[in-house]
Amino acid sequence: MMHNHQEQLTQELFDRKLIDKSQFDAVQDYRKLKIFSLHNELKLLLYGSVLAISSGIGILIYQNIDSIGHTILLALILMATIGCFYFCNKNAKGFHKQEVSFDNPILDYLLLAAQLLTCVFFGYLQYQYKVFGTFNNLATLVPTAIGFYCAYYFDNKSILSLSITGLAAAVGLTVSPQALLNNETIATDFLCYTSIILGFALIVWSQYSKRIGLKTHFTFLYLTFALHLIALACLSQLVETYWPIFTIILGSTCYLFYKFSYQEKAVSLFVFTCLYGYIGCNILLGRLLSLIDLGELVSLFFMIIPGYFIGSIVLFIKVIKDFNKKIAHDSTR
Amino acid sequence: MIVHDKTLLQNKYLREEAKALQDAGFISEEHYSNIKKDLADFKSNQNWFLRVAFLLLGSFLYSSICGFIALSILQVTGEHFEVLFFVFALIGLAGTEFFARQNYFGHGLDDAFIIGFQICLAATIGIYTSGNEFLIAIVVTTSAAFCYLRYLHRSMLLLACVAATASIFYGILNLGTEIAIILPFVSMVFALLLFLLWNKKLQHTSTFYKFDLNLIRYYSYLLFYLSGNYLVVRELSVVLLQQAINHGQDIPFAWFFYIFTFIIPVGYIYQALQQKNKIILWLGFAALAFSIYSIRFYYALLPLELALTFGGLFLFGVTLVLIKKLQNQTTGITFKPDRFSNSTPFQAAEIIVSTQVGGTQSNQQTTDSPVEFGGGGYSGGGASGEF
Repeated sequence: MMHNHQEQLTQELFDRKLIDKSQFDAVQDYRKLKIFSLHNELKLLLYGSVLAISSGIGILIYQNIDSIGHTILLALILMATIGCFYFCNKNAKGFHKQEVSFDNPILDYLLLAAQLLTCVFFGYLQYQYKVFGTFNNLATLVPTAIGFYCAYYFDNKSILSLSITGLAAAVGLTVSPQALLNNETIATDFLCYTSIILGFALIVWSQYSKRIGLKTHFTFLYLTFALHLIALACLSQLVETYWPIFTIILGSTCYLFYKFSYQEKAVSLFVFTCLYGYIGCNILLGRLLSLIDLGELVSLFFMIIPGYFIGSIVLFIKVIKDFNKKIAHDSTR
Repeated sequence: MIVHDKTLLQNKYLREEAKALQDAGFISEEHYSNIKKDLADFKSNQNWFLRVAFLLLGSFLYSSICGFIALSILQVTGEHFEVLFFVFALIGLAGTEFFARQNYFGHGLDDAFIIGFQICLAATIGIYTSGNEFLIAIVVTTSAAFCYLRYLHRSMLLLACVAATASIFYGILNLGTEIAIILPFVSMVFALLLFLLWNKKLQHTSTFYKFDLNLIRYYSYLLFYLSGNYLVVRELSVVLLQQAINHGQDIPFAWFFYIFTFIIPVGYIYQALQQKNKIILWLGFAALAFSIYSIRFYYALLPLELALTFGGLFLFGVTLVLIKKLQNQTTGITFKPDRFSNSTPFQAAEIIVSTQVGGTQSNQQTTDSPVEFGGGGYSGGGASGEF
């Protein structure tokens, strides 16, 4: 049924001379093959099965840790890690500055497993034997460094994001999506400062690698992390003592990312920049209002609010329209 | 009945089709943007981020208007605040109509008002009937159906389906506990009726509704499965009918629900492969997973860790075999990526899952639970070795 509607639509596109005969025929021929691809589904199943196996074995080991012994376990993990890396390496195309990928998508998962195992190995080593002494951060940094190496060598975005998360963890931040949702990322003032510094470091690195043409498709990922790191830290500092400084930082970050989103043609960056900027403005307005004693003006205030929202909606629509227009213009050029 | 401009509507679907063709690589990006220029469109947001952002802004606007009105009304009358929600609902409807006439469709702002309208209307009915669920459900069904027919919002179609189901539930529950035992069968019959309605009538429509009405079909599939699922039936009979199930006892017709719970997902998957329907396939997978969970919920045949390990190994093996088998098919069911199906959401999901699972959570937590995801993929590594 779905296909029927789509075929009708293609037919109409053709009737209106929006696509030409050869294109129309190509589509018709392709549709005649009646391809029903299970590519994503099967890959997802594979992914799910790897997760299931690893958690199952994880629990098993956890329960039997007394009878197995730490050394043997560590050795097993190490062997498995090396095994995974060996297979990946054997099939890798080597390092290139541009985007490369494995011929066989399964190797991506193998690589992911290898990276996860590396994290487990070092975590375990530190937990059980305190190899890095009291430098817990080092136990995170070492696998992170390996992760960055792998991400660049094998060209893998999952591992890159894992490594950035690891890097943030090494400086004391939790930046997993779930933590973001629960708003438990940034606990103290000091962590806010680290978060902002890390964010700017990521920006600098992404821009530098862009200039030297090193894995430019990673830029977006770096910028996404940087935006959230900086903006969330600034927003949480807007209600603290040194808010003027963070207003300036947030303002300049928003400006910077406004430019970046145009450069990268990334709508998500653009939307989040606007959103963070807007939230920041509202917090500042709230601070201002709390300074003034409203008193009699409360009802006036309630009358103005709908107008304020209409104004901001109009502004948003205009900004987004400009953005879309610019991007459409660029892509036709 | 449809408020939107017909030419714009047709253009919208044509643009979607052109976009699909571009994603599949049949036409160039330049060609697509030329087509876009030729076909005028609604004010809408294709991008979900944008749509959600405007949904938020829209609900701010809606609630601030409501707050303003509430203040003015309360200042004038000082009482009758029951009426307020009805006024709010009217504002929602007026806003929806306004945005639709201004050619907003799927923009986010219109979504905010249409959803606000439904919520406020339900609240009004709830206040006046002191929370009669049956009446609320009936009114919401009607208003959602009306909104779908007039404004073509897919979410409203879904809401109408859910609310209709809820009306039947509450209607039967109101009849008394003895009759309510047949509730699963009634909802199965309702699902069948929905399906027949779609099958005999709706799928042949030539109006603009044809693009959304598949939703009714999928809803009927889901409802049919859930109304016969053992877990759902058992838990609902405990909650709704206050039926205590002691140890060693079982619900009435238990054998029927056991069989049903496993036959239906397999049936769905089979049908999906036969009719080449992705959504039913996903429904089938989800249903199968839920069936396994349902049975495990009561009868844990294997301890969790063994079930996970062996289940995972089994799944891994089956998937590998399937991939090998389908790898070189060029027609029909295949492992080759389809030009028309887009895989970006999957990649995004994978990245999120992997940061979630393997994510180093900050140093304290990492050192606390290093073995939790331990041994990971190690058997996966071994198994892929032969690949």
